[in-house]
Amino acid sequence: MKALQELARKLLEDKTVSVVIGYEEGPHGVRPAFITKPDQADRLIFDPRCVHNLATFLSPRRSHLVTLGKKAVVVKGCDARAVAGLVRETQIKREDVVVIGVRCGGVTGDPMGDGKLTEKNVAPRCAVCDVREPKLADHLVGELPPAPPTPKGPDMVAKLDAMTPEERWAFWQKELERCVRCHACREVCPMCFCERCIADKSMPQWIESSAHPRANLSWQMTRVLHMAGRCVGCGECVRACPANIPLGLILKKVAAVVEERYGYRVSDDPSVPAPIGTYRLDDKQEFIL
Amino acid sequence: MSAKTLTQADLTSLVSDILAADKRVVAPSLVGIGPLEHIEYRPLHKAEDMVLDRGLPKRSIKEMFFPPTEVVFRWKQKKSDVAIDEIPTTFQQTVVIGALPCDAAAPGIVDRVMNWDYRDELWNGRREATTIVAMACDGGDKSCFCTAVGLGPESSKGADLLLTPVKAGYHVDVLTPKGEELVSKYSKRFGEAKSADEAKKYQEAARKKVEGNLSFDAPKMRAWLEGNFENEYWRTIALRCHGCGTCATMCPTCHCFDIVDENEGVLAGERRRNWDTCQTGKFTLHGSGHNPRHDQNARFRQRVTHKFAIYPGKFGEILCTGCGRCQRQCPGGMDLLEILGDIARMAGGAA
Repeated sequence: MKALQELARKLLEDKTVSVVIGYEEGPHGVRPAFITKPDQADRLIFDPRCVHNLATFLSPRRSHLVTLGKKAVVVKGCDARAVAGLVRETQIKREDVVVIGVRCGGVTGDPMGDGKLTEKNVAPRCAVCDVREPKLADHLVGELPPAPPTPKGPDMVAKLDAMTPEERWAFWQKELERCVRCHACREVCPMCFCERCIADKSMPQWIESSAHPRANLSWQMTRVLHMAGRCVGCGECVRACPANIPLGLILKKVAAVVEERYGYRVSDDPSVPAPIGTYRLDDKQEFIL
Repeated sequence: MSAKTLTQADLTSLVSDILAADKRVVAPSLVGIGPLEHIEYRPLHKAEDMVLDRGLPKRSIKEMFFPPTEVVFRWKQKKSDVAIDEIPTTFQQTVVIGALPCDAAAPGIVDRVMNWDYRDELWNGRREATTIVAMACDGGDKSCFCTAVGLGPESSKGADLLLTPVKAGYHVDVLTPKGEELVSKYSKRFGEAKSADEAKKYQEAARKKVEGNLSFDAPKMRAWLEGNFENEYWRTIALRCHGCGTCATMCPTCHCFDIVDENEGVLAGERRRNWDTCQTGKFTLHGSGHNPRHDQNARFRQRVTHKFAIYPGKFGEILCTGCGRCQRQCPGGMDLLEILGDIARMAGGAA
């Protein structure tokens, strides 16, 4: 942690940045920290409770953070994909943010827990992680911890794939009927940066705002399709959902389809174009009659 | 006020009896799949679905009185005429079982605004049809602060019956005429009270557990909030806030709503009211594009001020029951306990 704190202090002292966004120990567990003074840098920590994707705070949609000035942000390898996404989609300029990568041994889903990683509490994305050492980083800190335990439980995406369309429909109806349309999934998402979301437009009302099955499906499917090839898989939407809807399953499925069709996996290199913004002559098009 | 005893088996039978009498029973029960399984207040299909040993349900009891979406009326257009279909405002008799005191107390607080300048028929209809059997809490966790807002893990506010866990099952305090009616109707399930002392000990231990989490002087806090709208403190209060409104979604007392019209076909439709929250930018966005609560700091100030100054000023009660959900479930780590503690220190009322 010393290296992280020293680096943050230096960045603030020499005025490279005016705020370092990292993690601190709050009164009830780990939480995002906004360090603006060099002498506060020793508050910064990193451990398996640091589940939050701090790249979300770089989004220009957060006007109360834009006014803080130039930022440095602490990212895990997975979070770095969101920084790359924001750069790729021209929301931020790469040179406007100092990326502090931390080597990661996996995180738990619970910032208020004891931070001991187990098969039961390890975040699902850690099982398939190949970026424990972030590549998109101006500074890299910490030793590489041991690999996290493999999460327990069935592969739900495979289970859903094995269902008949009717069974799958029934599964999602049941899960999505609990949606209360708070849109917390959108608000915490690093890649949901639209100034005005289609769900908030009322003339015409593309998506009804009521929490009934028709509108819930319409909202969640719209969001998922807008996330195709863009979702970084950080799981913040699942963590924020007040109804515990397994949004991760459908996002994972869409990511797999994008990979299969376009050979694209969400990249932590901002110069790699995403399928949604590119056209290639050899794109598969057998579905066009 | 009288007292009774209820064994675990009799509580299960009581639920079955009530369901058999074509009433609705709402209780904490399991929802969701795999690692996302959790408890919510849900209408029960059978008594065995009730889960009373897993603490506070994820969301509060409020949605049983004020659902996330509800139809206010329906309309049909016929040439130049519009016919309005009223929505029934009488509801199926409902017994809520296992509401924790921080949830049981909430509807009574929200009653004030729902009967202020307009008597809200849908809210009141559900309130009148509902009997609340509360469950004394074991003192919760570090995020709880019911005692700071004048309640407690043993508070009977808003409850018709209060169950307190004892060795033999539950000690039952019968608190209201509605509670008495329930007990006399299903009298064969209730035994003579014999565990009052044991229940009292349980309640005292629970109170001790939660008391240390937070305390403040409510009138001093209100005075500080009323006089410090422009205080420097607010300017960086919500840096980590995403504006997702999960705090309000979870909250037993947040009650703001939006009214929308939705067409059902071309010549018919319904007017609905849907949950809304002051934590989103859209909540106060004017048609002109101006937004008086221009950023998240201003929106969080509103949340705190409404709960601890505006509502008490208007209705004499704090709009918070200290359930702690807003802190526990905030994805950004916003901490109302910390903020209230800060304000109490500035207001000179910290205990």
